[in-house]
Amino acid sequence: MPDDRGSPDLAHGVPPVAVSSTSTRVNLTGSWKYIRPVYQDKVAPCNQGCPVGIDIEGYMNLLREDRIEDAIGLLLRENALPAVTGRVCYHPCENACNRAWLDDAVSIHGVERMLGDLAIEQRILPEPETPRPETVGIVGSGPAGLSCAYHLARLGYTVTVYEAEAEPGGILRYGIPEYRLPKDVLAHEVNRIRALGVDFRCGVQVGRDLPLNVLESHDAVFVATGARRGRALGIEGEDLPGVRAGLDFLREVNRGGRPALGHRVVVVGGGNTAMDCARTALRLGAEVLVLYRRGREGMPAHDEEVEDALREGVRFEFLAAPVRVESTERVPDREPLEAIEATFDRFEGEPPAPHVAGLTCTRMRLEEPDRSGRPRPVPVEGSEFFVAADLVLTALGEDPDFDFLPEDVERASGVVRVNALNATGHGALFAGGDITDEPHTVAFALGSGKRAAVGIDRYLRFRAGEIGDGADLSELRQGPKGNISVTRWVGGDPVRRTDPVNRVVTFQETNPAHFAPVARAADRHLPPGERRLGFREANLGLEREQALAEARRCFNCGVCNECELCLVFCPDLAISRSAGGGYEIAYEYCKGCGVCATECPRGAITMTREGL
Amino acid sequence: MSQHLIKDLIPREELLDSGHLACPGCGAALAMRMVLKGLGENTIVALPACCWSIIAGPWPQSSLHVPLYHTAFETGASVASGIKAALVARGDTETTVMAWAGDGGTFDIGLQALSGAAERNEDFIYCCYDNEAYMNTGIQRSSATPWGAWTTTTPAAHPEAHPKKDILSILAAHGIPYAATATIAHPDDLIAKIRKAKGIRGTRFIHILAPCPPGWKAGDDETIALARMAVKARVFPLLEVEAGQRWRITLDPPREPVGPYLRKQGRFRHLSDADIAQIQELVDRRWETLERRVRDGG
Repeated sequence: MPDDRGSPDLAHGVPPVAVSSTSTRVNLTGSWKYIRPVYQDKVAPCNQGCPVGIDIEGYMNLLREDRIEDAIGLLLRENALPAVTGRVCYHPCENACNRAWLDDAVSIHGVERMLGDLAIEQRILPEPETPRPETVGIVGSGPAGLSCAYHLARLGYTVTVYEAEAEPGGILRYGIPEYRLPKDVLAHEVNRIRALGVDFRCGVQVGRDLPLNVLESHDAVFVATGARRGRALGIEGEDLPGVRAGLDFLREVNRGGRPALGHRVVVVGGGNTAMDCARTALRLGAEVLVLYRRGREGMPAHDEEVEDALREGVRFEFLAAPVRVESTERVPDREPLEAIEATFDRFEGEPPAPHVAGLTCTRMRLEEPDRSGRPRPVPVEGSEFFVAADLVLTALGEDPDFDFLPEDVERASGVVRVNALNATGHGALFAGGDITDEPHTVAFALGSGKRAAVGIDRYLRFRAGEIGDGADLSELRQGPKGNISVTRWVGGDPVRRTDPVNRVVTFQETNPAHFAPVARAADRHLPPGERRLGFREANLGLEREQALAEARRCFNCGVCNECELCLVFCPDLAISRSAGGGYEIAYEYCKGCGVCATECPRGAITMTREGL
Repeated sequence: MSQHLIKDLIPREELLDSGHLACPGCGAALAMRMVLKGLGENTIVALPACCWSIIAGPWPQSSLHVPLYHTAFETGASVASGIKAALVARGDTETTVMAWAGDGGTFDIGLQALSGAAERNEDFIYCCYDNEAYMNTGIQRSSATPWGAWTTTTPAAHPEAHPKKDILSILAAHGIPYAATATIAHPDDLIAKIRKAKGIRGTRFIHILAPCPPGWKAGDDETIALARMAVKARVFPLLEVEAGQRWRITLDPPREPVGPYLRKQGRFRHLSDADIAQIQELVDRRWETLERRVRDGG
């Protein structure tokens, strides 16, 4: 029957009815349009939000296709320590996730941790580029140093890392407690960097054990010695035995020490180090009280840390600040009976050395915001009270330590000044991590190490006359913020991209109608009661199947993943599959209605003005 | 329905050509494209006067890869009956005959012919693509136009005063073997219903909501979104009725209020919040009736 079309039966001279003989394809309806759709891959907000510069959207998409090994490969292109960041990074990526507007952000950290652990289990080692003749020295093996070493080794350089402590890892090894980051996880990731040929020289402090000019044997140097100097309380009595810098305490425990704490430990401060101190002291059997001068919502510590501390039994005294450390020799309101007992003790032997007995504190109230935009805490007059303590741990923030650097390295407000690729401007000296102007987090440190690796590569290639100096850094960024994709620097992105543009996709540009609400998988945890018994990892992450289900929750913002809704919904049949993957638009028929762009679940199609 | 499953459920075969003369973003063009995917190439279309008389293309063109008979406004069902009888006389019992009519040609002008054919249980599929007014001739109201809507014959000062005719119940009351509703925003549901209808003998009726950007005064790109919202707001429930008795809701997404659906369309711009509340009440009442039917049978 269909064959009859176009062949009128002329046996009787005239067809009984007018019969069509051509298709409408002769009508080039594309001339009607004044706007046209174009496929244009954009940046997912998670990718921009990640200070490390990981292609999160990219590996989520590979996981959706069950390409787990390719996903690990893509992750390891950008992140030296995925099993570490999957555990300890505070995932700014998830704060940026568009899915949060529909139900809940994708558990990106859970997926990353699963991939990181799998990379360790399967001993996956990325391929290095062609070896290069230059050598690079790195001072400090914290996250910034490790990241820089990893990426430089992958770029083909011979890398030596100088570390003052006995083992590499810096804050990851000696700051973050075992229950948050097991030492063997870190060791495995450091071993991957070793396997790339990086030489770790541990137990040598540059400027003390090694003269600074040892670095001159290298073609470039990256310094990332971190912020290790705890801030002082600045009050009377803080030199008493029993008052200790929190970081120092954490270092001892992380070295395997199990110091006697006494019964009551008071932690002063509200940041992540304070939470680490409190939860560690708890595990060593103490009763722990955290003193913080603002309220719960003013704490710089991450929510999850505070929640965990509360769950495990840490107590908090908000809107309180110490004004004086009290000695055992002079305690204001000691119980009379206790005072008499102390007198008896004194007769029995040598008088005990003075020791901390507690803190005299004042209540605080919050006034108009200060320059940082946060409410300013001020003491309430006459509100002093006493808190007993056998040990006081101070965690008021840490300052960088780079006294050993040459005098003429430029400094500003207590940090080393660096440019967008972490060069100090002092010859081949680069710097990163907490000694530069960066938020003090693992992710930012990893990002700065990677930026420096790209900076050093660019510097050395320029010096060797291989490239000019005109590279546009914005091309390396995912979105307009500061992170850098080393894949974009090296080239060879394994993900197919269509006319990529460096713009972040908003939730309004996605089409949530194509996503059914699905609950976010929650990390598994040890029961709080068990956590107090030791240093076993508290957060157990996601099962592999849970992590894969999380990847399927990903919108894949901004990047076409061939869901084909554009083709299905085109009223003009102007969209077809392209031979090389993806889709192409027959503009000679496309009327510019925009249905494809509006229905695209992920904002990968942009409408542009016609003929301009 | 997951996006990536839709891709696997929709047949790749295309029986409609580009270059057809539908407006940008036309829901009716997309409806035809999807229905033909479900029916396959062994199909003959009877087409009374409607938007599609234009969309199909001027002589000597045709945008369809299957035979298409242009017929008079009131005759969709009778011409389909005749084509089927002629095919049977020639010994062809396999070719599917489909009448393809707009809401005017179905709810108003073609209703007598359709009712007669349905009474005789003529063996064809009748698809009504519903854009809720006579759009092709310049947006005049039909009995498919919803209460409160602006058209050129029901201007904003005197908007449509009658609720939309319940065509599915009318057809179901004929006791025909299969009647269903569908939209262009739910292609998997639409194609499943077309395939089910194809496998049944007798009169089958499919009512497809096909939003019209110029007639509804909405963006060209909003066609799919509007059809989707109509289902969510329960303004246009996705249903099927077997033998006029067994009512079933085929897709029941989380309910949304009618307000956002109406406010997205310029033809409802003049409505007050009280008007919208009244529409909500009407929709809720109809839904209750529907649930009773699903529970108790036609």
